[in-house]
Amino acid sequence: MRRVRDWFANPWGQPRFLGAFTWLYMIWSIVPVIIAIVFSFNNGRSRSVWQGFSTRWWWGDPYNSVLHDPVLRGALEQSLRLAGFDMLIAVPIGVGLALGLTRWRGYGNRPVNYLMLFPLVTPEIVMAVSLLLVFDHLYHVPFGTEAQILGQVTFSISYVVIIIRGRLLSIGPEYEEAARDLGASQLGAFRLVLLPLLAPAIFASLIVVFALSIDDFVVTQYMSANQQTQTVPILIYQTVRGTATPALNAVASVMVFATLSTVALAYLVYRWAARSQPAGHSALGDIAGVT
Amino acid sequence: MKTGAVDLVQLRKDFGEVTAVDGIEIAIEAGEFFSLLGPSGCGKTTTLRLIAGFERPTGGKILLDGVDMAATPPHRRKVNTVFQSYALFPHLDVFDNVAFGLRRAHVKKKETRERVTRVLEAVQLGDYGKRKPAQLSGGQQQRVALARALVLEPAVLLLDEPLGALDAKLRKALQIELKSIQERFGITFVYVTHDQEEALTMSDRIAVMSGGHVEQIATPQTMYDEPETVFVADFLGVSNLMQVTAEGPEGVACRVKVGAFELAAGCGELGVRGETHVVIRPERVVIEPYEAAGANRVPGMVERVVYNGASEQLVIRLATGTVVQALSVRDGTPEKWTQGTAVQAYLPAEALRVLPPSPTGSAAPATPEEAPEADEAIEVGAG
Repeated sequence: MRRVRDWFANPWGQPRFLGAFTWLYMIWSIVPVIIAIVFSFNNGRSRSVWQGFSTRWWWGDPYNSVLHDPVLRGALEQSLRLAGFDMLIAVPIGVGLALGLTRWRGYGNRPVNYLMLFPLVTPEIVMAVSLLLVFDHLYHVPFGTEAQILGQVTFSISYVVIIIRGRLLSIGPEYEEAARDLGASQLGAFRLVLLPLLAPAIFASLIVVFALSIDDFVVTQYMSANQQTQTVPILIYQTVRGTATPALNAVASVMVFATLSTVALAYLVYRWAARSQPAGHSALGDIAGVT
Repeated sequence: MKTGAVDLVQLRKDFGEVTAVDGIEIAIEAGEFFSLLGPSGCGKTTTLRLIAGFERPTGGKILLDGVDMAATPPHRRKVNTVFQSYALFPHLDVFDNVAFGLRRAHVKKKETRERVTRVLEAVQLGDYGKRKPAQLSGGQQQRVALARALVLEPAVLLLDEPLGALDAKLRKALQIELKSIQERFGITFVYVTHDQEEALTMSDRIAVMSGGHVEQIATPQTMYDEPETVFVADFLGVSNLMQVTAEGPEGVACRVKVGAFELAAGCGELGVRGETHVVIRPERVVIEPYEAAGANRVPGMVERVVYNGASEQLVIRLATGTVVQALSVRDGTPEKWTQGTAVQAYLPAEALRVLPPSPTGSAAPATPEEAPEADEAIEVGAG
């Protein structure tokens, strides 16, 4: 017993206690996800009693599988569509804003910098209700896909600005000045030097916005119009108390895979981009700085 | 005619309330190695950035070969910069970094390749074209930064503390290389540094700046031997500054009173009367036995002996309370002076320089009682 304790508490060895604790947490957090994925392959209607392996809820069943059920498919498509638009709109605007906020020195610079954090700290439900009110009464935006995109873009931009601004501050103004000194116009300096240097951060923003959008429930739910504009989180929320089948698990699994492959892609692109980046910056680091 | 003459006329730059450059007048000749020397915050880097075009002057003119270019944006000026951080583009390899400027100028592909190859060979980086900046050492990055600017054949090359990030040995080697490149290319170099030794080694002329003003413009020799202000005397090398009262009838010689002692001062602003400073370099102070008698001698005591290798630095506390440093070459004679010895410090009149009274006191140096660091003395003693 004593020897075991000494071995465990060995000051020169690995900190085993911390390692064990970490692994315990990993297992704790991953087990539910794995169980959910496993039951999407259940050969029966139950989501808790194993009845053998089957792919019927994925594509086998002609009516209730993910592939064939129009409601499930619609929700998946809507989720991906919103994520796509959110990325396409929020990232360019966020990059522009970040550029403006770091390069612009004048009155109003500081308050705007603080206001940028506003969407991050506002409770999402408050934001959703407020958006609902202004969209309905002030801007007359019809509920549905447009309103959902607008809502998601509204809060996504803050994240993009924070990621890009952090990177811009660490890059500093010298590279642009060097480019201008060597004969590049302002626009040329941006395109030839700043943009390539910002690429990892822009990529990180894309991933973060994708994850935010796919994950979002509150704002998306408030802005949805009908069943056609349901996303996967909304669908899962609504059917969880009703007669859910393992097909729901399958949809959820698709979401997990989508997120995982995005992170994997992010990692690969980061490795590729890191070849030519100054040390100390990483796309994952940029993401980790926020989420 | 050589090109690359830069004239700064009443050049001024304010940042809000703060005046970084306060109406300076500098005329830099074509093909000259000109250094802007001063402590941090003296306005030297702002001056360089004004010439480069990164800052817009609040007032005054910047003439390049007689043409005012204050309104010309940086990418249209025949002026290139070597940045302190090098600012090599990390996503481009060495070749593309050097070719960047030529491509912006739409130089033909073949010519671009030739010129880049030639300049890379000139800085001894011929085989490094395919490397990324991150794969180079500090000294190599510095050369790439230099090549990138030189390839455009600018009229003026601006260098902002280009050797600041390198270690001492490499810095010495690159100082010599920079100077020889400057002579070979015949380009005007405007070199910003806070390192007085660097400025003295390389420059044709130096402008010492302080608080946005130019204190003195002179050749290195003149700057060292004949400082015109208290600030210059104190900033360049080790100086013994003494607060004195200048007296005597108007004439050639000037008598200065240090405490109870009266000395003859033979050079500098001999017309000055009243409260002022005199300066004498440590290597001009002669230490004699206490029994020695004669004019311009002040008794004192050896307070500290600092061994510097080739020379020995003696810190003498004079009877007036002032601390004076003396430098004696170790030529093999047995060491005469040990700590606590009573001596006479002979301050020859021809080495005792009278400075004009400092106008405000903002440019006042560290108090003369404060002995400068020993390692600083080594550099000056050796050079």
